[in-house]
Amino acid sequence: MTPTEPAAVPAARSAAVRPPLPVKMVISGGFGVGKTTTVGSISEIEPLTTEAAITEVAAGVDDLTHTPRKTTTTVAMDFGCLTIDPTLKLYLFGTPGQERFGFMWDDIVEGAVGGLVIVDTRRLDDCYAAVDYFEHKGIPFAVAVNAFDGRVEHTLEEVRWALDVTDGVPLLVFDARERGSVRDALLVVLELALARTQD
Amino acid sequence: MADGTPPPDPSGPDAVGPASAVRPFLVTAGRVAAGDDGRSMPVETQVVATAEGLDALDLLAFERHDIVAVCRLPQSLAEIAARLRLHLNVVRVLAEDLRDAGQLTVHVPDSDLVHDASVLRRVIEGLRAVPDSRGVPSDTD
Ligand SMILES: Nc1nc2c(ncn2[C@@H]2O[C@H](COP(=O)(O)OP(=O)(O)OP(=O)(O)O)[C@@H](O)[C@H]2O)c(=O)[nH]1
Ligand SMILES: [Mg+2]
Repeated sequence: MTPTEPAAVPAARSAAVRPPLPVKMVISGGFGVGKTTTVGSISEIEPLTTEAAITEVAAGVDDLTHTPRKTTTTVAMDFGCLTIDPTLKLYLFGTPGQERFGFMWDDIVEGAVGGLVIVDTRRLDDCYAAVDYFEHKGIPFAVAVNAFDGRVEHTLEEVRWALDVTDGVPLLVFDARERGSVRDALLVVLELALARTQD
Repeated sequence: MADGTPPPDPSGPDAVGPASAVRPFLVTAGRVAAGDDGRSMPVETQVVATAEGLDALDLLAFERHDIVAVCRLPQSLAEIAARLRLHLNVVRVLAEDLRDAGQLTVHVPDSDLVHDASVLRRVIEGLRAVPDSRGVPSDTD
């Protein structure tokens, strides 16, 4: 466009570079269980937040204007990433906590290789929605008990019983603040996803 | 930024203010992004500026300008939305427009490839090599 422009943007010329293949995993669970902390522990960037507007059309139509009453809600999802090599990049997306944003989950989860459902044993039922969701979608997932301050209120067997997940779903205790712990939890999910490809 | 919002500050979730609920509709004229198969492009879809797009930067305004500029390096749709504080669906619609205009390339990940055993093995291997906070990789213990 501007022929006088010098070669000031050499990087621009290599814009034809192929981007990495993005591999997506989803971090899920109830409010305040440590989803963002988990993403932040392993991500090479500070977790980013993006927002999507959800327009809910209220039942009924305004009689005078014939305009459906709409309310717009904004949900936030946060995410981070980890470059595996120049051709491969792992993305971690946290789902919004609210159960009623199930369709927002679809948007985030579509194409994910696996999920990690984080559980706080003091509020076990907060994670039912996430467990149901992954089971229903047939996405490989593991349940990770976030040991807040090293304390777990229930044994893993109690957690398994309470959540009613099959033996095929790995259950583990981890620390959302520890990179190595998050890494190992993600590895459990990836190994499960890999095993599925060999069935 | 061109639309008067503060510049993106990728210093954390708290730094990102709420995006406007009205703008998305105006910016995209109410269109909804959907891929060729009627599904919307996944949030991790990679977007890269073309040389043509970067050459045309001065001619682009507002969101379009910012999207092309931020895609000098490959970015996911989600990253673009977060960095520019735009709604995801706005980015989807505009990225498709800019692709059609030759200013961006949009790489929707091949789901079969992503789920392929060889790719999963490479992710596993790469992740195992990530050291914990004490510097110990997973495959040494
Ligand atoms: N002591 C302790 N605190 C933790 C742990 N994990 C997370 N936290 C803290 O718990 C709070 C909630 O953690 P987040 O990572 O924000 O949880 P979240 O699931 O993203 O929360 P929402 O997005 O609000 O649903 C934060 O203040 C964290 O610092 C942990 O393992 N131990
Ligand atoms: Mg969070």
